[in-house]
Amino acid sequence: MALDRSVSRRRLLQLAGGATLAGALSACGGGNGSSSSGGPLKVIGAGSQEAGLRKALDDYKKAHSDFDFNLSFSPADQLQTALRAQLAAGNAPDLHAVYPGNGSAMSMVQLSKANLLADLSSQSWTQKIPTGFKGAFQNDGKTFIFSPGTSVLGAIYNKKAFATAGVEVPTTWSELLSVCDKLKKKGIVPIALGAQTPWVTQLIDYALVPGTVYAKTPDFDDKMTAGSASFADSGWADAMDKYLELQKKGFFNDNPNGTTYEQATSMVGTGKAAMAVQVSAVLQAFRAASPTPDDLGMFPFPATDVAADNWIPGGVVVGIAVSAKSKKAEAAKKFIEYCGQPEIVNAWAEAVACVPLYSEGDAKVDPVLKPFLPYLKDNKAVPFMDQRWPNAEVQPTHFAVVQELLGGKSTVPAALKKMDEAYRKSA
Amino acid sequence: MTVTAQAVRRDAVKAPRRRGGGIAPPWLFAVPALLIYALVVLYPAFSGAGSAFTDWSGVGAQRSFVGLDNFQQLFHDDQALGALRNTLLLTLAIVVVQNGIGLLLALGVHTGIKSRMVLRVIFFAPVVVSPVMVSFLWKYVYNPAPDAGLNAALGAIGLGGLRQDWLGNPSIALWSVAFTVIWQCAGYSMVIFLAGLEGVPAELHESAMVDGAGTVARFRHITWPLLAPAVTINMMLSTVGGLTLFTQIIAMTNGGPGYATDTLSTVLYKQAFVFGKFGYSTAVALVLAIFVAAVSFIQIGYLRSRETAA
Repeated sequence: MALDRSVSRRRLLQLAGGATLAGALSACGGGNGSSSSGGPLKVIGAGSQEAGLRKALDDYKKAHSDFDFNLSFSPADQLQTALRAQLAAGNAPDLHAVYPGNGSAMSMVQLSKANLLADLSSQSWTQKIPTGFKGAFQNDGKTFIFSPGTSVLGAIYNKKAFATAGVEVPTTWSELLSVCDKLKKKGIVPIALGAQTPWVTQLIDYALVPGTVYAKTPDFDDKMTAGSASFADSGWADAMDKYLELQKKGFFNDNPNGTTYEQATSMVGTGKAAMAVQVSAVLQAFRAASPTPDDLGMFPFPATDVAADNWIPGGVVVGIAVSAKSKKAEAAKKFIEYCGQPEIVNAWAEAVACVPLYSEGDAKVDPVLKPFLPYLKDNKAVPFMDQRWPNAEVQPTHFAVVQELLGGKSTVPAALKKMDEAYRKSA
Repeated sequence: MTVTAQAVRRDAVKAPRRRGGGIAPPWLFAVPALLIYALVVLYPAFSGAGSAFTDWSGVGAQRSFVGLDNFQQLFHDDQALGALRNTLLLTLAIVVVQNGIGLLLALGVHTGIKSRMVLRVIFFAPVVVSPVMVSFLWKYVYNPAPDAGLNAALGAIGLGGLRQDWLGNPSIALWSVAFTVIWQCAGYSMVIFLAGLEGVPAELHESAMVDGAGTVARFRHITWPLLAPAVTINMMLSTVGGLTLFTQIIAMTNGGPGYATDTLSTVLYKQAFVFGKFGYSTAVALVLAIFVAAVSFIQIGYLRSRETAA
């Protein structure tokens, strides 16, 4: 195995030592030392950004004959393990996926604090980052990732299934319950939930919390940071109660804890289920699972009976960053500078069904996302909750407590207490 | 025995040792392998153990010495203690059931039936399949839909009332995973018991039969005592396998639903790669390694004494 010479042998062996003690992880540290100065730029992306990242790289290569790249993708669950092992061993790819903000072990804040990301602040596009999104891109005033824009979270629904049950898109919580009831009576699963896939567990809470928490307390994250608020004593309890109400009324498929994301996707695509609460970034996967992709639409998932209080979650999508140890950092930075041009931002955003970070003139947005645009315009969108969480433990705790709730093994107060405990742990 | 013969034998026994007190040739042959083992296993293991006393995140250079903090945290960590409970339950199930089934299978195919060789291959086949493959295969078997996998089979034989969400129900998931591991590894236990059974002299059984001993009495007084070495090996292997079980859990449930199937191995993996706490994870790994070693020593001590008694 060729190793980056800058890596201390002692550190690599220490890392390997932990893995050896684990007894099962020795295969995780693989890599081929691509950070050397010769050969193509090594790029590892997240599966959800494939369409946009590949297009940007291909277009850039066409315009720059001296540029070449070696691109691979990894599903979200494996990205963290594989990339962290490579980062620790010092043989990280030159350009790789990074999650915006904080709250995940592969997030921008966590990695930049460990001095593993190159500073992009000198690039002109960084001046156009909207103020409200700076926390997703910047740490200590420096920009460390590029992301094409924001994904929204709501209900992806099958229009044919809605038509069969004779229901319209709901705009309040009561209407949503009524719609689910009618769908169920028609033999259609109202909401497909693949909660065996951990990251799917969080989405219904994420859809409800903007309405139950942030519409009333827009500075909730600041209060949490200051220690003057908690999950347990906030609208999070209301959101989780509503989550469970949907289960108790039988509006989910049977056994959501035993159902995977892929199975839930297929249920909505084929019309066996009417909707699934999801991020717009996976719209393409739902379309691929449907014989009639044009039948799929998306609407903001209502959390309250006051229409004005129904906010939406809108989070900056997974971005790319340059490894601080890359010997081809300059070439990688030039590519990111290219990505920062408005037309590239637009093209990438369109490919992954997100709203572009900025645009010159009218942005091309997937028509399915139009119901969400007024919320973004009226500042009724809040970043995905984990992007402001202080450590990488709160989010997995959230996954686990939701599975416990769905399995009848916990209560909402106990679940939120565990999340509060995880939140208060040091970063 | 003549004096010459005794001298030759003594010389043969001493042959591997090098005159003059140097390293014997067999050790010389082993030196390259030992050096590689020391470099890639022992040195990293001992060197990495130092991380257990730091707050290292697993990436970057920042780390501080925190003494025994990680160990103190471990013994107050509900998730780790729950995982310890799961690990012990899983190990118990695997040790008892896997070896029980392995023994029954071995006794079954140690008879004179014509198809015994085919049956041996069939029972052993799951052992050679990758644990990840087996896990994904069983995820299909455990499909929670009433018309799929195991649930469909139960429905077809009139046991529809037993249908379950095998991997999604926190009360059942651990046992569903245990069953998969036992299904895969029972053939391994069978082979070891079979080797033990081959070593039981047929004459002893014949004499006992002449004395009027029945099947159960012969098993109890002849087969079982002479199987002691095979029991020791099987108990050791299944105990260590159970205590360090990782692959099937991660592939089938990822420790869920909730924390229902987390084991010490999945906890240390998550601490390192999901929570970004490599120092704490290494502390869990150290405790697990010491625990496995202690259990193994106690177990082997007891089982060896049983072998001697037998």
